[in-house]
Formats: sequence, C-alpha cells, structure tokens
Amino acid sequence: MSIHRRRFVAALGAGAVASTAGCAQLGQGQSGDGSGGAGVAGETLTLTTTTSTYDTGLLDAIHTDFEEMYGVTVDAVAQGTGAALESARNGDSDVVMVHARGLEDEFLRNGYGVNRRDLMFNDFVIIGPEDDPAGIQGMSSATDALTAIADAEAAFVSRGDNSGTHTKELNLWEAAGTDPGGDWYQETGTGMGEALNIANQQGAYTLSDRGTFISQRSEIDLTILVQGPIEGGPEILANPYGVMAVNPGVHDNANYDLAMAYIGWITSPGVQNSISEYQVNGEQLFFPEAVSEDPDFQQYVPEGWSSDNSDA
Amino acid sequence: MPVEPVVQSVPALFEPIAQLSPAAFDLPFREGYVRSTIFVSLYVSVIAVTLSTLVSIPIAILMGFIEFPGKRFVKSVINTGMGFPSVVVGLLVLFAVSNQGPLGSLNLIFTREAMIMSQFVLATPPITAISLAAITGVDDGVRDAARVLGGTRIAVALVVLKEARYGIATAVLAGFGRAISEVGSVLIVGGNITSAAGISKTRTLTTAIQLEARQGQYETAMVLGAVLVALVLTVNAVVIRLGDSGVGR
Amino acid sequence: MLRVTGASRSYGDEAVLRNLSLEVDTGEVVAAIGPSGVGKTTLLRLLALSLEPDDGTVALDGTDAWTVDAASRRSLRRRIGMVFQEASLFDASVVRNVEYGLRVRRSWSERLSDELAGLVGQSGFDDAVHEALDVVGLTEKVTQHADSLSGGEAQRVSFARALAYEPDVLLLDEPTSDLDPRNTAVIEEAIGEARDRGIGVVVATHDMHQAERVADRVAVLLDDGITEVAPTEVVFENPADERTRKFISGELVY
Repeated sequence: MSIHRRRFVAALGAGAVASTAGCAQLGQGQSGDGSGGAGVAGETLTLTTTTSTYDTGLLDAIHTDFEEMYGVTVDAVAQGTGAALESARNGDSDVVMVHARGLEDEFLRNGYGVNRRDLMFNDFVIIGPEDDPAGIQGMSSATDALTAIADAEAAFVSRGDNSGTHTKELNLWEAAGTDPGGDWYQETGTGMGEALNIANQQGAYTLSDRGTFISQRSEIDLTILVQGPIEGGPEILANPYGVMAVNPGVHDNANYDLAMAYIGWITSPGVQNSISEYQVNGEQLFFPEAVSEDPDFQQYVPEGWSSDNSDA
Repeated sequence: MPVEPVVQSVPALFEPIAQLSPAAFDLPFREGYVRSTIFVSLYVSVIAVTLSTLVSIPIAILMGFIEFPGKRFVKSVINTGMGFPSVVVGLLVLFAVSNQGPLGSLNLIFTREAMIMSQFVLATPPITAISLAAITGVDDGVRDAARVLGGTRIAVALVVLKEARYGIATAVLAGFGRAISEVGSVLIVGGNITSAAGISKTRTLTTAIQLEARQGQYETAMVLGAVLVALVLTVNAVVIRLGDSGVGR
Repeated sequence: MLRVTGASRSYGDEAVLRNLSLEVDTGEVVAAIGPSGVGKTTLLRLLALSLEPDDGTVALDGTDAWTVDAASRRSLRRRIGMVFQEASLFDASVVRNVEYGLRVRRSWSERLSDELAGLVGQSGFDDAVHEALDVVGLTEKVTQHADSLSGGEAQRVSFARALAYEPDVLLLDEPTSDLDPRNTAVIEEAIGEARDRGIGVVVATHDMHQAERVADRVAVLLDDGITEVAPTEVVFENPADERTRKFISGELVY
C-alpha cells in the first residue's frame, strides 16, 4: 500500500513539474504581434555572455527593441566568459557574446560556432591609488607599467577567475615577461565590481574594463593611471567583443534562425548607433565595430586562419 | 497558471520595504523588478518545498514504522543530504538538464523548473530527517493505543502524524529556509535572468543580491537582503500561527 | 467467548509462556496476577490478538484468529479493547480522544463527512462519548484538552476511550499502578460497570487486593504458565496449588 502511495506521489510530483514547465512555456514570448518574418515569433533566444558585459546594462537597454520587432524573448544569461562558451558548447544557448578573442577562436576552430562578427569594443585601463607608489602614471606601455608594479611590489588585485579581464591580465604579464606572485599579488575570484571595491579598500592597482570603472567611479577613490586605446593609450589594452551563433550542425536544437536574426540586428547600422549612444554616468561605454566600409575579414575566422593553411 | 495572479499579490506587500529605504540609497530598481524577483523566489521555493514535503512525509512514515532492508543506507543518505554542499547539487542538476544531459530534451536549462528541481533535492533531506525525528519521537504508547482502538495502519499513521505535527511544521520550515536561501545552485541552473524591462524570469532575491554584490553595490544588496529576511520571518510566523490554531477541536 | 488454548510464546530462546489456557466469558472479570515480568503483558497481547502464539490457538467466539486472513482478524480485533498502564492520550481534546474508536470504525468517506460535520459543531458521537465519560465520572471535562488533565483523570479518559465503542472484551494491563486511591476506586468501579454491561474483562495486576476486589475469577501466573485458575475466593482462601498459596501469602518474593 505504501509503495503504491510513493509511486503515486512521485508521479504527482513529476506531473506538477511537467505542468509548470508547460505553463512556463506559455508565459514566455507572448510579447507583441511578431510582424517580423522567419516564423520565429513567440520563441526565446538564449544568449550567454560575460558578467561585465551584462553588468553595464547595455543589453537590457537595447534588447526590448529586438523583442518587439520579432515578437520574441531574449534570455540574457550572465555567466562569465568560460561558462558562456561552455553553455554554448553544450547546446544550452543559441548565441554567445564574449570578449576573449583567443577563446572565441578556439570555439570556432572546434566547430561550435559559426558566423562570427566583430561587435564593438571598449578598452581596459590600469587603475590605482592617486599616490601611485609604483609611479606608472601616464606610461604609454601597459607591460612596462605592470613590470613597475611588480618591481615595487605594490598591491595588485587580480580577478583570478578566467574571465575576459583576467585572461587579458595574464596575457599582459606574459608579454611583460613577468610571473606575478607574492603577497602583493592577490587573486580574488570575484566579479569586476567587487574586485574594484577590494582594490579600493586596499589602495591597490588593478586592471579593469573601462565600463565597470565608469559605473563605479563615484564610489571609489582609485583613478586611471594608464589609459586604454580609446583615450590614446596602448593598443594592447583594447577589449573587442564578438558575437557568434551556435552551430546548428552540432546542436540541432539551437535556435539558429533567431540567432541569425539577432546577429543581423545587433550588427545593423541603427543598433550599432544605439550602442554608441549608450552612456553610463555621462560617458560612452562602447564603440561599435560591426559596420565598416572596409570590413575586416579576420572577424569571420579564427585569427591567423587563411585558406592557404587549411588542408586541401 | 492559476497560481501566478494569486501569488503575485503577496510580493506586492514587500515592495514597500524596498521603496521605504532612505533616498540616500538611490536604488535603481525599475517598476516591478523587486516584486517579480520576490515572486520568483516564492514560486520556486514554495513549489519545491511542497513537492518535497509530499515525498518526505511518506518516507519519514515508512522509516518510522517499518523495517526494511537497506533502511540504514537510506538513513545515511538522508543525513548526508542534510550537509550536502548545495552548489554541488546545482552542478548535478545542471548536468542532468543541460542539452547534453539525460533530461536535455525537456529544455529545462535556465528555467524555474530546473531551479525547483535543485531546491527539491536540497529541501528533502532536512524535511525528511526532522519529520522522522518528530515521528519516532511520538510516544509508542500513543501508537499502540491507536492501533488497539481499531485503527488501520493508515489511521495509526495519521494519528502519529497529528501528534508529530509541530515537529513536522518545523521540518517544513527548515526545508523552506534552506530552499529560499539558496544561491549557488539556482544561479547555475537558472541563469539569473530578467527580461530587458527588468521583470524577473529566473532571478531570485538571493541571486539578485549576488549580482549586486558582484557589482560592488553593497547597499542595494543589503536592501534586498532585508526584504529576504522579512519574507522568511513572515513565512515562519504564518506557519507557526497556523499550527497553534490547529490545537484541540 | 475469548479463549486461549495451549498457547506458547517465546522471545528468542526465552520461553515466556508455555502451554497456557484461559478463557473469559461475557459479563465476567478475570484477574491475572503474578510477579512482574512473568508474562502478564504477553498474555494480554495474545488475548488482544496482536501477538501470534508460537503454539496453540486464540479464538473469539470459536473463530481461530490466526487461521483467518488479516482483514477478518482485524474485525475480530476490533471487538476487543485495551487499556494500558499509561494513558497515552492523543494531543487533542477529551472528546476527540474518546470518540476515536468510533470514528475509526467508519469508512473513509464516512470519516470525511464526520470531520466536516465536526467542524460545524455537529457530531454523531456525542451521546456515546457522554455515556463513556459518565462511567468514569468525567462528563464535565468533555471539551478540555488532554494536557489539562491530571494523571488519574487521563487514565479514566483512557478507560472511557476503550469503552466508547462497546467492545465485547476489555483487557486492562496494570491500569491503576500509577494512580492514587481515589482514581483507582473510580477505575475499579468502572470495571464493575463494564462487567454489568456484559463485557468480558481481563485485568492484569500485581496488586492482589485489587484482584480480590474486582475479579470473579483469578488466574495465577507463576513461572511460565498458569498455575491455577479459579473463582476469587478459592484462590485467596483455599488455593489448590501450593505455589499459589505461597505467592498469596507473600512467601514467594517478587
């Protein structure tokens, strides 16, 4: 008797979950009349991206237009670079937007992504305390600045989380020929905002994307000591964003139609213009790259790929 | 789903807390953000705890009344589950519902249902273990009396349940507490998603707090935290109150 | 009416009862006396049809309880009531306690409508409850909660609880061991009332004086069986067995 009851209860539970799943489907994507074609109306696009991209608020600002245009819903999942790509690899998302070219290239090479486009860029800045113990203010070489910090053993906060920012930081150390280590070098494993707070409390240096720094500038006492390319600093601190669709050849459940509609929309002149107009605390955060008289072919393929290299 | 409009009204009671916070905080909340976040928190946790209770109580009764082979194993599984790291549960659920996983075809990744699954797994061990303690704590004499007065096995089980009702209510509250405080696993399987307009889809109070903290917005996080605490205290108070009024005829 | 014949029962290697026979008829009180641990409780559990004998039979009105299916055995069991040394009342009001036996004998759908009727204040069991409480002199406590009762009052309610559904047999296991003289007297009077209603009562007690007061017949348990069963006066004044005489006179220490 009790065994039957348990099975009954389990069936009840499964039924409850399944029916709520059905209800969730009903609740989604009912926005608008979907006059856009391609029969995507009512569907949901899952976009995985990085936390720093999401935290700028850009996506929430622009996605409403896309949703209304096509009558769809965009689920933007802020996961961090590694997780965003991993989700795409698993087929849990339809389109991925990150800013780690090396990882994007690997993604393309392994066949998980198609139709990559350069999207926009901003840059990184090296920030630190106003008294600048390592004396890096105004340096035109990011690698020299980091070397100076290491030599002075001045406190430095690292993301330590394999994010785009962390990857860039590690590339810089490598280019500088220095292996950071010691009490002055602290890996926090946190998001950018938190890392800024930690650096602020300790009067430490850190590498930050300009966007997060601008949003938090009013609350912290750190200042930009080495500029990024947007304000004339070294090119190595550039932070380009790319967008890719998940390869429907690998994951046939990926919503390819909608992903392409999205990529098409976000690389269109109108939306690229909206991106350039997006401001935080009165400053522009992103610089659009997708529209150009003279398209860069390298955006479509892994960097360094050329048809000469591929096997016949 | 008929539940939604009814439950929507509850979170509206808590929004004033967010709105009453001093202007100094300058909260950037958009219309409906806090309310929808509270709703998702409640929706996921209440359903998960309800399902969990429906499973846990029969298990606790079985464990309390019957000897069966493997009973000690079940007991150690439950006890292990009590202390099981919740974020690992999130990973396990992620593996299950991911497109690559066994349940991939159900499209549960980044949905509230996946969050319910992981909270279900987390809430069941404490609800079962505490209910079991309450049930076995019922005096044997009461059980014998019910049996000898002519009760069928089910009737006797009901009597024991009634005698253990305060302990069971405590168990359910413990499960609810664990569920609604959950951050890591619901973040992993839910994705912390809101619509572009700020209406929560899979963002709970806890993951919203995590997001604000990640951005260094500690004051905002504190306000959300206050809302969460108020919510938990209210639920506890309501359940205790219901328990008290159920005494006697 | 309720008859144990040649019953044996062991726990593990230890034989508690061996080849024991006893019967109780309608409208009589049988006291089972003997030292603690001799097996009185085991005997009662055999009589209550909740424990199966290793050997021998237990029959109610001629039907051997352990040769029929479980459902039939349950209906036999339901004609027997039992009161233990501890009251073990439910965490509820007195009336909910006393009417339990009555409620539980209804079908599930009937029980559901009983509950609903109870919510609006109508209960079909009020008369039976009142009558049972009257036997133990506690009718004024009907709506009180079990927590508010003294130990003696609780035991009296426990008695009423067993009486309410009019069993054919009532088994009592040391019912007054924990009680003061006044409550003991009430219970003993209630035992007499039950007998007068035609109920067959078996009282297990280590209090020989109680046995003398309430019983029509006495069964003396020593070692692992019934040493003697006889009308009360016989057992106490002129027992057939030497051991009985020694036990009664206190020479056999327990």
